[in-house]
Amino acid sequence: MKKIFQYTLILLIAAIYLTGCSKDTAGAETSLSYKMISDKTWYLDYAQTFTGTSVKTKTYVGQSTYFINFLKNLTTVDSDGISGIYTVEKINGQLQIQVQAKTSNGGSIEYIYTIESMGDKHMVLTYTISTVTTKLFYSNKN
Amino acid sequence: MLKGKFFLSCVLLCSLITVQAQTPNLKKLTKKQEDNLYLNKPLSERVRKFKKEVIKSWDKVFVDFTDNDVFLTAGINFSKQNIKAGGYNAPFNYDLSDYNKNVFKPGYYAGFTVDGKFKQNHAYSFAFCLNKIATGTNYKDAGTLAPFIGSFSHFKADDQFFTLSIAAHYKKLIPITDTAKYKFYVIAGPSLDTRLSGQGADNLVNNNYQRFMLKADIGLAFDNKSYYTLFLHYRQGINSITKSPISTNMNSLELGMKIKASDVF
Repeated sequence: MKKIFQYTLILLIAAIYLTGCSKDTAGAETSLSYKMISDKTWYLDYAQTFTGTSVKTKTYVGQSTYFINFLKNLTTVDSDGISGIYTVEKINGQLQIQVQAKTSNGGSIEYIYTIESMGDKHMVLTYTISTVTTKLFYSNKN
Repeated sequence: MLKGKFFLSCVLLCSLITVQAQTPNLKKLTKKQEDNLYLNKPLSERVRKFKKEVIKSWDKVFVDFTDNDVFLTAGINFSKQNIKAGGYNAPFNYDLSDYNKNVFKPGYYAGFTVDGKFKQNHAYSFAFCLNKIATGTNYKDAGTLAPFIGSFSHFKADDQFFTLSIAAHYKKLIPITDTAKYKFYVIAGPSLDTRLSGQGADNLVNNNYQRFMLKADIGLAFDNKSYYTLFLHYRQGINSITKSPISTNMNSLELGMKIKASDVF
């Protein structure tokens, strides 16, 4: 009889724990990233350049500025006429946007941005060339 | 002549109905049903024994819990989360102009309670309820994302929950009116909410929400001649419902009614 009580108790606890559980974190970060950036036009508002200890900030707010479109079908096109495909991946603990595209002249171009912060309305991407790091601040008006 | 015929047919009809009503319902059992009467049924025998055992041990353990009545309860709740994101870091940002809502949002709940007396003297109520909770989200520490203007957070609180709550309340009668008719109670006690719903996509990334929420309840109840009871409870979250370093307390206000289950069924 004791065993029946124990089994019932275990079953009850298991039911509480299992109800509502889902396969949590695997891929959750990248799928959330896709959800946040896709089907939006992102306009460059600010660009910051870090060289050693100096920081230069350029603002493009209220001006005609660079923009890039990330679509749900994983294609991208920007205001410079560069179009191609993009993926979001997590490499070495950092989220990245990898773009493989073609220029308007037909030349191939490949670039990678590290996602510093991403949201429904604001996105901060960085890239580093030699010792110069550039932060790009995008926002969308959708 | 016509009147006589009508009278006769009425009498005949009435007698037919009476005869039909008095005929015993002798349905013939099928072969399978007949066999079942003589067959051993180990499962149902086990269930019967188990029931007996439970009732026996219940009576032994809860010997001091008497005058138990089962009530059905339902009502609305208003909830709010107070959030301190602390040093939480994630590669996502949320513009708080969209998410910071310092309000109590309405939800609803339903369940049942077992009300009785402990040692014939102390009134208590055990409640088991399913709650659909919608909450306002009050962010106490906002961050920035300069040079963007505005307040941001790396954490986005879920604002919808489905929970199972179990509460144990002590009820103290306030002798302010004729207590034979109207009873006012002050109610206090702990409750434990188990989150049955999953987390939002934003919180799956770091599995931010806890499964259990411990709360301290305090409230008032008005029993109207045992026809129904109206009550108002304030439920203060004791533990954080999010994992460290995020600290989130959920507070709720419940307005509900309960009626004896035996009055309904």
